Amino acid sequence: MFLLLPQALVDGFLIGGIYVTIAIGFSLAYGVMHIIDFAVGEWIMLGAFLGFYLTRWLQIEPLLFLPLVFIVFAAIGYLFQPVIHRVLSGKKGNPLLMALVFTFGLALMIKGLGLTVFGFYSHSIPSALSAGSFSLEIGSLFVTVPVIRLTGLIYALAITLALHYLLKKTDFGLAVRALSQNKDAAGLMGINAKRTSSYVYGIYVGISAMSGVLIGCIFSISAQMGSQYTVFSFFVVVLAGMGYLSGVPWAAFLLGVVQSFFLIYFNPGWTLLAVFGILYAVLLVSPKGLFGKGV
Amino acid sequence: MRWRNLLWIGISIAGLLLLPKFFPDPFFLRIVTEVFMWVGLAITWDVMAGYTGYLNFGHGAFFGIGAYVTAILMMRSGWPFATTLPVAGLVAGAAALIAGLPTLRLKGAYFAIATWALALAVQQMALVLDITGGPDGMRLPPFLHPQFFFYLMFALVAATFALLWFLLEKAPFGLKVKAIREDELGAMALGINPTTIKMQAFILSAIPAGVLGGIYAYWITFIDPASVLADIITDQAMVMAVFGGLGTLIGPLIGAVLIFAFKTYFWAYLADYQVLYLIILGGVIALTVVFLPNGLWGTITGYTGGRRILRKALRVRQPAERPQGSGEKET
Repeated sequence: MFLLLPQALVDGFLIGGIYVTIAIGFSLAYGVMHIIDFAVGEWIMLGAFLGFYLTRWLQIEPLLFLPLVFIVFAAIGYLFQPVIHRVLSGKKGNPLLMALVFTFGLALMIKGLGLTVFGFYSHSIPSALSAGSFSLEIGSLFVTVPVIRLTGLIYALAITLALHYLLKKTDFGLAVRALSQNKDAAGLMGINAKRTSSYVYGIYVGISAMSGVLIGCIFSISAQMGSQYTVFSFFVVVLAGMGYLSGVPWAAFLLGVVQSFFLIYFNPGWTLLAVFGILYAVLLVSPKGLFGKGV
Repeated sequence: MRWRNLLWIGISIAGLLLLPKFFPDPFFLRIVTEVFMWVGLAITWDVMAGYTGYLNFGHGAFFGIGAYVTAILMMRSGWPFATTLPVAGLVAGAAALIAGLPTLRLKGAYFAIATWALALAVQQMALVLDITGGPDGMRLPPFLHPQFFFYLMFALVAATFALLWFLLEKAPFGLKVKAIREDELGAMALGINPTTIKMQAFILSAIPAGVLGGIYAYWITFIDPASVLADIITDQAMVMAVFGGLGTLIGPLIGAVLIFAFKTYFWAYLADYQVLYLIILGGVIALTVVFLPNGLWGTITGYTGGRRILRKALRVRQPAERPQGSGEKET
């Protein structure tokens, strides 16, 4: 029973890194647009399938074209954001509500497209790294570290550091942070809210799609996987506290550990139930996230 | 005016009641019965979305809970059908109470997330529990009486419609709910407890959905997580309500009838491409949001109002008092 405990922790920790990247992008998009994007899981799905088909056609290592996936989806997100912006700045009805409905409709459409084009089957992205693993032995503890999951963590660290640099050290990051604090005041300071939001949405979509490729290398992918990852993203963001980026890694690692615990010790079918249970408990006790610093 | 309205309502109710007498074709009755069901789901979804301003992405969960409660009570405990329906409604209402308790205190985004996660969790629960039969689903004793279900569904949906109409359009409750939708802080300042009202509205929308699920289970006689807990139930109810027009009861009714009629034809002609339906639903919702934010009914009724304003504006412009910029002052 306890023999597998370190293994579960390590697996969860390694996979948690990828959730960090998704959730940071998601939080960023929430920060500037003030709506949550229900299509997040679908962007992950689309990215994973782009990776899958590129690997199949080009027969090269999927991790090599991560930048390509990012560029393609960042462009899609950048071009798409003005539509959401238009809904958000509408005068009729309730724009916030409508924007939420809109992203939901978008998710539906992408899911339908995915099912039509990719079919109902599960695939996995073949990566040269998937086979490799190395073992660590510390005393009586014995842990296997799959190389691909370690790569996932390294990727997550790289993305997180890059985003940290972008947000904290550049003018663009300053603009993004200003926008998420107060849109009107930021506009008065000469920040082009529309274009900055488009960039942020593009970055978020690109990162989600890229993470989708890594998820495809580790788990299996199918056209229906989107809603599960949408819930995972919500879980991380709500646990961290909506809009509180520093809490994201902890919540993401917790999610990874929960997931791997259910895979190893219980029925994996209960994972979503456990996720909902934790989400519910956190919302009941501390709605501002585990650290009480959300909005 | 009032009398004419009452007359129209009476004529349509009588027409619907007599429908099985003149068109006894079971296929036709089945479609009309299902239209009733979707009208019920769409208007109850609209109670939260249109009137209260909170998006419920897990409405299908209440429908599924109701269906499973009826099935479990009938098959595992041997209850008669009629007694299971109130229980189905109550259990769905209790689920709404539990789900709403932590989330309705918060901003709408949290509620949307939590209901979405609730729907997935209920789906998973039905798949892993023994009492629900897991992925194999449950079979109920067949009761092949299309007219019975037609009248039952009609009675329930008509009663729900009447109740919601009274509560939301005539009673103070509707004003409170709308006050919360427009300005929650303002509503609080007026002495309304938003959490209580939202909770009441949420339970009010969940109970009829649960009862509808119970009727559906006995009507179709086979339920499994892929049918009564599918995401498509929420999606479709949402599209109907949004397309018809949020914040009204007539809008979702029209939306449900139109979308369902479309779906019936679509299914017959394009049976091989059933996933295309998802794309169409998503497309309808996205286009409605972008181009008709008030929905079909809202746009039609808004149009007549808009025409009056336009006429007034034209009359004002004739003496050329307001050269330009008068439109911007409205916002």
